[in-house]
Amino acid sequence: MTRPFLSVQGIEKTYGAVVAVQDVTLDIAEGEFITFLGPSGSGKSTTLYAVAGFLEPTKGDILLNGKSLLDVPSNKRNIGMVFQRYTLFPHLSVADNVAFPLRVRRRPKAEVDARVAAMLKLVRLESMADRMPAQMSGGQQQRVALARALAYNPPILLMDEPLSALDKKLREEIQFEIKRIHNETGVTIMYVTHDQEEALRLSDRIALFNAGRIEQIGTGHDLYEKPASRFVAGFIGNSNFFEGTLSGADRSIRLPDGTAIRGVSLDRLAPAKEDVAIMIRPDHFRLHDGSEAAAMLRGTVTDTTYLGEYTQLAVTTSWGAPLSVRLPQHDPAVSVQKGQPITLTCAPSNVRVF
Amino acid sequence: MLLDFDRLGALRAVLSGIAVLVGAFLLLPVIVIVLLSFGSSRYLQFPPPSWTLHWYTDLFNDPDWLASFATSAEIAIVVAIVATLLGLMASFGLTRGRFRGRETLRAVFMTPMVMPVVVFAVALYALFLRLQLNGTFIGFVIAHLVIALPFAIISICNALEGFDKSIEDAAVLCGASPLEAKLRVTLPAIKAGLFGAAIFSFLASWDEVVVAIFMSSPDLQTLPVRIFSTLQQDLSPVIAAVSTVLVALTVLLMVIAAFFRRGKPA
Repeated sequence: MTRPFLSVQGIEKTYGAVVAVQDVTLDIAEGEFITFLGPSGSGKSTTLYAVAGFLEPTKGDILLNGKSLLDVPSNKRNIGMVFQRYTLFPHLSVADNVAFPLRVRRRPKAEVDARVAAMLKLVRLESMADRMPAQMSGGQQQRVALARALAYNPPILLMDEPLSALDKKLREEIQFEIKRIHNETGVTIMYVTHDQEEALRLSDRIALFNAGRIEQIGTGHDLYEKPASRFVAGFIGNSNFFEGTLSGADRSIRLPDGTAIRGVSLDRLAPAKEDVAIMIRPDHFRLHDGSEAAAMLRGTVTDTTYLGEYTQLAVTTSWGAPLSVRLPQHDPAVSVQKGQPITLTCAPSNVRVF
Repeated sequence: MLLDFDRLGALRAVLSGIAVLVGAFLLLPVIVIVLLSFGSSRYLQFPPPSWTLHWYTDLFNDPDWLASFATSAEIAIVVAIVATLLGLMASFGLTRGRFRGRETLRAVFMTPMVMPVVVFAVALYALFLRLQLNGTFIGFVIAHLVIALPFAIISICNALEGFDKSIEDAAVLCGASPLEAKLRVTLPAIKAGLFGAAIFSFLASWDEVVVAIFMSSPDLQTLPVRIFSTLQQDLSPVIAAVSTVLVALTVLLMVIAAFFRRGKPA
């Protein structure tokens, strides 16, 4: 295996008895867009701040191209960062803000001017070079912050929930810009967000944080289709959970009503476990077509909502648990009526057991 | 709102009347003094029989008065500069520091504002007797610094609390050393607070009289002290002229301070 570009190795940060992050380990390839996703307080920002050098990990190491960053002060790490809050220097114009990192580095004036122009072009704010930050909208300010963070060609760009203060429409617009800028510059990006849609839209890989640890690292597809834990399954996308038991020599799964499900992978499961949680995504259900082997769940439809591309069903299972089901339009879902009994099926490969 | 001014009816007129009266009560003495300074009467007759600049000519030809002007100004300027610098350092500690007793320390810095000035003046006088600082420029500056520092700290602390530390962090990540980030980003961003601190420190020293009476010597008298001692001997219209100059300078500084406050970015 080739040496990773940026390697976070067993980072731990404690404040007295409080553990902010624990045993966070991940390798990031050059040019990758990796997102730290998780609820607030899960340690995603703490990890980012450790890379930025604003806090020193209690344990562990951070290596860039094989060299430890920990003894390098923040201002020498040569890392770009866009913050959650607006951090443009209020007394400097847009152009002077973008020029700041270059002037600090005592670059010649011609180079500074050329670079500032190029950066403003990159974020499409050429016409606003002389504006003051207070005269700009939040979205524009974050784009200037992005230009400033990229002005000195940092190998790594950190982004700490840069869009959380913006409204939804603007957020999507700038997500698109960020993606384009990532493609154009090839910079390695570490991005923190608690918005799963944002994470799925932007990232090559997602590291899902929970309670100071990484629950799973993988592509959005991996996390959605092959969640490694109940937390991941619950956090990414919509999911139905119900109880089940493992029994018999073949360790088949039994639902509360006694139905056995076979062919489900139990690889990740602790060998002795008997009571399990079964997870099925709402869109992995299909109407049962009558072939005996696949029948799985019986229940009653309590509500139907037509949503164009699919129909959303609320179902109560035979043992009384609520179930959310999304049937695509090509399934004969249109005929399903409220109050009607329903038999659902799901491919064993889409059933997860925790 | 419960007490909405627009819905008070007849009470509005009463309230407005009271407000005007209070304003007049506060301002009339100042206006009378200013008018008297231009009046021709030797005995401060009011209304003045005729108008003259005589007392101002007297004032600006009297080396003792000019010396006091210079003394007051020099002390106030040094106090303003030193109080702003010390206040800046104290404010960084009070707003950014995470240590036990921070709130207590903040309260200690504020004590000169609440302690009876005369108690402080007597204490300082006794201390300075031992240190032989009474009647010296340094003694004056130190005494006034204690009085001015709370104003400087309040002004700069407010500015620093309103300044997002992330902006300074951003400057550091941009490659500026922590000191450079403060000089190039934080200080310019809080300059309104710094000017406010300087102006209020200047004023705190400029019109301070209680401590100054204890600190002064025949050779070193600030303007308020000289006004007070002159007043004890004789009631000359020159005092009205001096007062007018004092008022004018104070108003000017307040206007400058207000201007900086408004110029502060939201």
